[in-house]
Amino acid sequence: MLDDVDLTCEAGEIHALVGENGAGKSTLAAIAAGEIAADAGTIERSGRIGLVHQHFALIDRLRVWENVVLGHEPQRGGAIDRGSARAFVRELGERYGLDVDPEAVVETLPVGIRQRVELLRELARDPGILILDEPTAALSPSEVERLFGTIALLTQRGVGVLVITHKLDEVFAHARRVTVLRRGRVVEERPISATTREGVARAMIGGEIPAIPAHEPTHGAIAVRVAGLAVPGAIENLSLQIATGEILGIAGVEGNGQSALADALAGLTAFRGTIERPHSIGVIPQDRLLEAVIPNWSLLENVMLGREHATSAKASWRIDRAAARAQCTAIVERFDVRAASIDAPLSTLSGGNQQKLVVGRALVDNPAFVIAYNPTRGIDIGATATVHTELLAARNRGAAILLISFELDELFALSDRILVMTRGALRGEFSERRFDREAIGRLMVSA
Amino acid sequence: MNRESAKALAIGTFGVAAAMSLAMIASHVSPIVGFNAFFYGAFGGKQEIAETLASTTALLFPALGIAIAFRAGLFNIGAEGQLLIGGLLAGWIGTRIDVPPAIAIAAIFLAGAIGGALWGAIAGWLKAARDANEVISTLMLNFIAASLALYLVTGPLRAPDAAGPELSLLPHAYWLPTLLSHTRATIALPIALLAAFALRYVLDSTWFGYRLRAAGEAPEAARRAGISLSRVALWAMAWSGALAGMGGAALVAGELHRFNTQLSPGYGFIAIAVALVGGLEPLTICIAALAFGALESGGLALQAAAAVPKDAIHVIEGLLVFALAARRYLGARGAGAR
Repeated sequence: MLDDVDLTCEAGEIHALVGENGAGKSTLAAIAAGEIAADAGTIERSGRIGLVHQHFALIDRLRVWENVVLGHEPQRGGAIDRGSARAFVRELGERYGLDVDPEAVVETLPVGIRQRVELLRELARDPGILILDEPTAALSPSEVERLFGTIALLTQRGVGVLVITHKLDEVFAHARRVTVLRRGRVVEERPISATTREGVARAMIGGEIPAIPAHEPTHGAIAVRVAGLAVPGAIENLSLQIATGEILGIAGVEGNGQSALADALAGLTAFRGTIERPHSIGVIPQDRLLEAVIPNWSLLENVMLGREHATSAKASWRIDRAAARAQCTAIVERFDVRAASIDAPLSTLSGGNQQKLVVGRALVDNPAFVIAYNPTRGIDIGATATVHTELLAARNRGAAILLISFELDELFALSDRILVMTRGALRGEFSERRFDREAIGRLMVSA
Repeated sequence: MNRESAKALAIGTFGVAAAMSLAMIASHVSPIVGFNAFFYGAFGGKQEIAETLASTTALLFPALGIAIAFRAGLFNIGAEGQLLIGGLLAGWIGTRIDVPPAIAIAAIFLAGAIGGALWGAIAGWLKAARDANEVISTLMLNFIAASLALYLVTGPLRAPDAAGPELSLLPHAYWLPTLLSHTRATIALPIALLAAFALRYVLDSTWFGYRLRAAGEAPEAARRAGISLSRVALWAMAWSGALAGMGGAALVAGELHRFNTQLSPGYGFIAIAVALVGGLEPLTICIAALAFGALESGGLALQAAAAVPKDAIHVIEGLLVFALAARRYLGARGAGAR
């Protein structure tokens, strides 16, 4: 997994550790934090090394303060001193700008807040070094800003912060040094000032970034027509149209009705108003593990999910295993899914490869309409390029595509037209590929 | 048999053996003497083997039904009631028709399946239409089934010649042929084994089975893939009940030769343990049913020979269900967190 890795994180610096999925970043973090043992080598440290996991290691049914003090509970007369535990958690939150209600039960909290709880738990133990594993993967842009605000406070107090990420924007905006890991080896380590974004990207993937095919402007007929759409509690009176061969990008901060829009268009939620859309549809859901796949199942069985008609040519009640295998193999090859076998459990694949399979499943039958919701969230550069290339190829074949994304870069790279969604309504239309980052950003946060 | 179900089977076997040893020691019986009596009671002769096979059959039908529901993510603990209603309809049909024996037996099993399916479908429908918790509804339907059956056999359907709360005796020609003469081991056993193979085929090789497993494994992903969770709940509970109901029919036509309210001494509950020990895999469940069948008949012998109360066996079975259910629950949560 890791081979002869040297890494130094100094007090008071932000050090970025970058690399593709499967490069060994999380393993390195777990070794540094003492969660797993290395086969060889040494770790020197001043103070505790704290680790904030990508997939939070919280006890969902306990309260925030209980999670934070777990293992070193303040005691009084043999019992937990709840009063001082709560006060401690509240005070810690105020000191680092991490507001959380200490009384809230963790499972009721959204992802961004849960991360604050993880941070508080590590900060409660006064670490010398704090490692954050993919801390921004599930955060909205404003939450990302807040997080880096907290990180800045930490470095001012002399804590060294190691941020694991594959988002180069964040690396270049905040880090002082960067270490690039590829296939378990350090391939580059230098100050940010002595490197370029392209250089780091090349080092990460060990070659050139695949080029995305050019946009050929198309002027197709209207394929998707939404008028007066209303979903209770999320959307009021929304209208939009998507032409064949067009990618319509929806920009916006998470929680402004994007999920309701995607679900209404996919036929998964009740709505008022009219939706006219092609029958054949491919959906790339927002939450891969919860909504798109069954992790314990094989690639083969996952590819069959939602594609019964495509997989059973003859008898409709019986699964045509041979056809399903052929189709799965075709998807794996065409979409560059790297797996030991199509019978391997999906959970053994990296996130990027899982997502390529999800995208392949959505696009393989050449649907006339595609809904892509954060199609590259949390996956590496190589897989992102594959997904973007395939979405553009689908567009060039004449599909109408609704692209909902929280990443402006992704929207700018793919969209023919961008609308901004806030509080369940669409506003501002940016077309002809003249996208104004500032104007879109302003609309995203306007009320 | 996959690794998970093999593991469940191994843990079950070992746990039961260990717990039985403790029960014997607590009753001041040497485990060597005790296990000797136990194994003689379960497999010692033609009659003993037949008793084991009869209990195996009685457990296998409802256990297969329970596996269907569990695989669909539905905690059906109403097999007892479904078995009873299936047996009631089977026993009633058996006294109302006059056809060649083969057709009569088929009709009796079909009636059992329909009765159980209807009873199971009530809980399925409540789940689908009203999102009623199936644990509560199936549990309550057990009591309703028992009361309904008692009312019908003491009232409207009471046999004129009956001594107690029971239906008339089936014509002798409709009794299930035995596998071993003068015993309770009947052709219901091969029918149950056939059902196990059929269920395995349905789960692995049909879209119905695929949808059912997807709904049980990952309901949100299944819903988004266009699988109707309501329809799965309804049909899974109906088929679950159908198999339990066939178990009732087998008891009626094979053992009692009539319906009465004492049809099942709790087979529908023990079958939950059988299904879990069998890892919810049809073929492994057959092995688990044999093990529990042996526990039933061997346990009786143990009581007679060594004065270890048969209730101790039931306590052990209960602990086993508890352990496996806890393991399943914790295992599922562990996998979800990863």
